[in-house]
Amino acid sequence: MRIRENHKGYLFILPAFLLLVSILGFPAVAAVLQSFNLIWVKSPSFSLASYQRLLGDAEFLGTLKNTVIFVGLTVSFHLLIGLGVALLLNLEIRNKRFFRVIAILPWTVPDVIGGLIWKFMFDTLPGMINAMLLEFAVISRPVDWLGNPKLAFGCLIFAETWRGYPFAMLILLAGLQAIPKEQYEAAEIDGASKFKSFFYITLPNLKFMIIIATVLDTIWESRLFGMIYSMTGGGPGYSSQVLSLLTYKHYFLFFNTSYAGAIAVVLAGFMFIISIPYLVITMRRD
Amino acid sequence: MVLKRPLFWIFVYAALIFMFFFNLIPFFWMTSSSLKTDYEVIDYPPTILPQTVTFGAYTRMWTQEQFFQYFLNSVTVSSTTAFFSSFVGVFAAYGFSRFFFRGRTTLMTIFLASQMIPGVLLVGPYFKMLSYVALYNTLAGLILSQTTITLPFSIWMLKGYVDTVPLAIDQAAMVDGASRLRICLTIILPNILPGMVATIIFAFLLSWGDLLWALCLISDQAKQTMTLGITQLVGQFRVQWSEIMAATVIVTLVPATLYLLLQRYLIKGFTEGAVKR
Repeated sequence: MRIRENHKGYLFILPAFLLLVSILGFPAVAAVLQSFNLIWVKSPSFSLASYQRLLGDAEFLGTLKNTVIFVGLTVSFHLLIGLGVALLLNLEIRNKRFFRVIAILPWTVPDVIGGLIWKFMFDTLPGMINAMLLEFAVISRPVDWLGNPKLAFGCLIFAETWRGYPFAMLILLAGLQAIPKEQYEAAEIDGASKFKSFFYITLPNLKFMIIIATVLDTIWESRLFGMIYSMTGGGPGYSSQVLSLLTYKHYFLFFNTSYAGAIAVVLAGFMFIISIPYLVITMRRD
Repeated sequence: MVLKRPLFWIFVYAALIFMFFFNLIPFFWMTSSSLKTDYEVIDYPPTILPQTVTFGAYTRMWTQEQFFQYFLNSVTVSSTTAFFSSFVGVFAAYGFSRFFFRGRTTLMTIFLASQMIPGVLLVGPYFKMLSYVALYNTLAGLILSQTTITLPFSIWMLKGYVDTVPLAIDQAAMVDGASRLRICLTIILPNILPGMVATIIFAFLLSWGDLLWALCLISDQAKQTMTLGITQLVGQFRVQWSEIMAATVIVTLVPATLYLLLQRYLIKGFTEGAVKR
């Protein structure tokens, strides 16, 4: 029997599908089952113990709060700085290509490497940050940036702001370039100020790009691991720890596999909810 | 135009120059420190430029540490991951782009949503799974695990490129009696070659920057990748910041060069799936 033409599509998707089910679907399901104490334990039985323990774990709650703050702040900074730089690069400036290359550079650094560079920048004595601030007399003696629980988290957010904003910038710049020039010309004829055209032409046209940049960036920042591991290790204490790092610690340092599973499930649930608008927009536009 | 509103343009260029310094100071500091001697790099107050320029840190990383091995491991893992996921991905991309079968939208959503699964959710079960099949602590196991990051992305990026190839080209070939597989490989693939290259390189870079998987799935020092190797050196008293920074220069040089060469394609790839107009 001849295979119906459209059914051939299944054959093309099959290898990727089987691969994803085995290397992604299976471990994801396993992690969820594990968090309910259903596999890889001596006496498997459904239990919510890991989730109950989450509620009373001060370190988990503190880390959850950190994660929300970290993601909220880095994504906001990425969007604000990204939009600012995209607007600059969309003007008729000299050396446009040169500035665009400079603007992309931080994003090309792997996050774990970015963490190392900033760890050294913030180093108390041989670091460059203290040297610069002392030079300009902003501070009178060296500050122990990463050793101070009140400062380390801020330094981490600063470093990730530096590394991640070019991505938002790239997406928003692509959006700005797609806005028809006629809209601005029409507004100018009608006597609208630059300020007004920004709010009534630029922003509405950028709406989809802003949503996409926000969602994608939120997902990347929520799962960020390397930079935090290499820059502060979550410390001092757990003052700069986020959920991805806490999960890693419970799996591979404390061997609380079921508990680690529960933390990871919370993180994945959080990310899934955030990604819904992106999924809807993308599928609708296909 | 510049003369028309001088204050505005002064502000624009001032902001651009500020961005220039904000973006580049870490690169400058990394490079400058990597060229300093062991003593100078921990001097207080620090010197801005090296007083005596030396490549000692670079040669020590390659000769005394197993850095060459890490480099080879990273290249092996990243390039195999990239080719493997793009090869599997191009068929799926063709399937999604050209066939309208039942469940297509659902399957596409599943593929897209699989990008959102965080690595830390998978890494624990992976440790167990790879141990069962004797792939724990092997580069093959690491390649397989990194495919979880690169495959969904590659499919979406490639689908965007396949969509740009006119259907008439397929139809002409079908009239000539070519099979679908043949069309995919001999007609679609050459047509999307720049996109294929961009996808391979992007997958390469995703894998190149990974730390989590290597940290959890590799225990042998000789099998470590560059990112893992470097983080393990930090804090060891025999290793100086100049050496760490020399290593970071090398690890950063590869992606920075590739990104800059391909920036146009990458932006396109990112926005294609979501923001076609």
